[in-house]
Amino acid sequence: MKLVIIGVGGMGAISLSKTIAQMAINKNLSVKSSEIHGIAKKGGLVEVQMKIDEGLSGVVLQKEADIVILLEDLYFQYAKAFLNKNGILITLTKEEKESIKKEFGDIKFANSFILGRFIKKQSIFDKLDAVEVLKNIKFSEKNLKAFERGIG
Amino acid sequence: MKLFLSGNEAIAFGLLEAGVRFISGYPGTPSSEVLPAAVKLAKQFKIDGYFNWAVNEKVAFEETTAASIANIPVAFVAKQVGLNVAMDPYMNTALVGSDGGLVVVVADDPGPHSSQTEQDSRFMAYFAKIPVLEPSTPKEAYLFAKKALNLSRQYKIPVMIRTTTRVSHSKEDIEVGRLSNYTIKAQFNKNTDRYAATPHFRYLLHKQLNEKIEKIKNNEFEIKTYFSGKKLIITSGISFAYLYDIITEYKLTDKLTIAKIDMPYPLNEETLHRLTDKFEEVIIIEEGYPVIELQFRKECKGREDGTVPKEGELTIDVIKSILQKLSIMPEEKSSKLIKPPFKRPSLCPGCGHRTAFYAIKQVFKDDAIYTGDIGCYTLGLNLKAVDTVHCMGASVSFGFGFQKAFGLSNIKKPVVATIGDSTFFHSGITPLIDAVHNNSPFIVVILDNSTVAMTGNQPTPTNTYNEDGSKATPVLIENIVKAIGVDFLKICDAYDFDCMEKALLEAKDYIENYSSPAVLIFRHPCIYTTEGLKNNPRFKRVFVDEQLCKGCKICIENFECPSLIFNGSVVEIDTTTCINCGQCVVSCPFDAIKVEK
Repeated sequence: MKLVIIGVGGMGAISLSKTIAQMAINKNLSVKSSEIHGIAKKGGLVEVQMKIDEGLSGVVLQKEADIVILLEDLYFQYAKAFLNKNGILITLTKEEKESIKKEFGDIKFANSFILGRFIKKQSIFDKLDAVEVLKNIKFSEKNLKAFERGIG
Repeated sequence: MKLFLSGNEAIAFGLLEAGVRFISGYPGTPSSEVLPAAVKLAKQFKIDGYFNWAVNEKVAFEETTAASIANIPVAFVAKQVGLNVAMDPYMNTALVGSDGGLVVVVADDPGPHSSQTEQDSRFMAYFAKIPVLEPSTPKEAYLFAKKALNLSRQYKIPVMIRTTTRVSHSKEDIEVGRLSNYTIKAQFNKNTDRYAATPHFRYLLHKQLNEKIEKIKNNEFEIKTYFSGKKLIITSGISFAYLYDIITEYKLTDKLTIAKIDMPYPLNEETLHRLTDKFEEVIIIEEGYPVIELQFRKECKGREDGTVPKEGELTIDVIKSILQKLSIMPEEKSSKLIKPPFKRPSLCPGCGHRTAFYAIKQVFKDDAIYTGDIGCYTLGLNLKAVDTVHCMGASVSFGFGFQKAFGLSNIKKPVVATIGDSTFFHSGITPLIDAVHNNSPFIVVILDNSTVAMTGNQPTPTNTYNEDGSKATPVLIENIVKAIGVDFLKICDAYDFDCMEKALLEAKDYIENYSSPAVLIFRHPCIYTTEGLKNNPRFKRVFVDEQLCKGCKICIENFECPSLIFNGSVVEIDTTTCINCGQCVVSCPFDAIKVEK
């Protein structure tokens, strides 16, 4: 699977990629990633390209990705460029983001919500693979709840 | 145990696992994470050792060489231009050799993404006659780190690991071994013929070095081959990973054979020729300079004949276009790459450097020559208060050179040099000695944020701790400046515009009347450090009074804070990035920017 996560600094794009990488490691699948971040520390583009169970390099080209997770709407056109013919874009509406922030107190929990969406859109990982990793991270209870909400 | 590690973290793990117990270096992208990763692992696995930053790469290299001669396994870490700084001891260590094992970790930056050059350190290995291992993936970075130390111990020669940005900053699942502590036992067998060799004995050391490299070439060189096509591509490093992915993805396995070289120097040309003679065409694709290609000494396609571009990063897209040009894979319908919306890199909102540059610019306008240096404050470019950026410490020596050149022409031209605290320690002190000694009147502004900010906030010699958290003795910049013999020295908080403006005007007056440099220290901790965070937010709220704002954008143009945004008629504060420091207030001629206490 070729996956791209696009966000801006401080949103947790890299943490999300680590969660997915750990899910792959737990299943004994190969996982590679390639991170690109701009010079600007705050608010700059953060892009993580990932290959799971394939390839040698972590690089994913435009028109190649099976799934793109977009955390920042500013990069919508850019994110779309990565999708292959049958590729899927996963993102949240403004309303969804606001309701997550309201319910969980921090927009960062949107990443667990979006992980729930991701689980539904692919066939390598199932719900339990994600739960196994989420229960061992910080604020696991809230993250698990946000994840359940994302699965719907 | 399987871990998800970056290339740099993998190198740190491999070095520690192989027994390295002394690492020194100087931070520089893309190499900066190796040493902190070693510190973290040492703490986690309770491993004794010395893992800290040195004041610059030359010092770091000499420290590691000595520890290696004391029979401890050691490593030196730097980026490619950092190795340039260490060239003097580096060249000689190759000759003298190592004892406890010495791994030279160098991260190159093709592109370049954040460097002044895109040089290829494998040539530095060739130049010094030491072996170089070039990993293609983080997994290999881990394996090669261990291999490098073992090779070094076996042949008593420093061994280089050369990575590039893409290997250093990629991550991969890696099956790692065990880290365990052992008792470090230093010993030194005195041998002046080797460790204090006079020129008379130097050629003997050179002879020994040549013998070592000949042995390594014959015993250690190997080629790994993949796929079964009629055309052969010789490759190494990240280019191998890219080629492997393209060939499997586009099903070119029966068109191409790949020969992967892990050790590009010393290259065993006989072994290589035995393989290449079987192929109708040989193409060499390697990231950087034609290091393998020049050692190959036979007809081939590559960088020399223009098949591979002579500059820029060898990205997967570039490699694809090379294969298309050679008709190995079909041309794709030309599709434009979509670029992400461009955001100019800028000093962070709340950065003290911005107010300092603003003050400098207010005092000297467009009249001065502004020599800048390497670090976050290179972005003084945006405030038009930086005219030159060359290499570490060059702001001071450039200041000297410009002042003398204009002085010789009897032209009055103020020169203002800006340099960060860590860069001052690294290479700014020696040119300041020259400026005092040779009576050069120009201004040196030391922008002290008490951290190496740009590479990820590593400690500097002014801090009370080093990378491993151990207690360190702070070395004060003002004491050094005074000791050099600088008469004019003023210190201001970089959040205090009035203090800086006054000091700059006095310094201007001083350099017009005296033949000596004036030094100003504008000090404010980086907002990305605990110390810096303590200072903010300074106000409850910073806002623009819409009635007073004329929409002239003077604040945006001159102060250049990303939190100041023009909405079409007036300026607004971007509350998602503003940290309410209130530093922009001074930049509005109509007092439209207000603060709420």
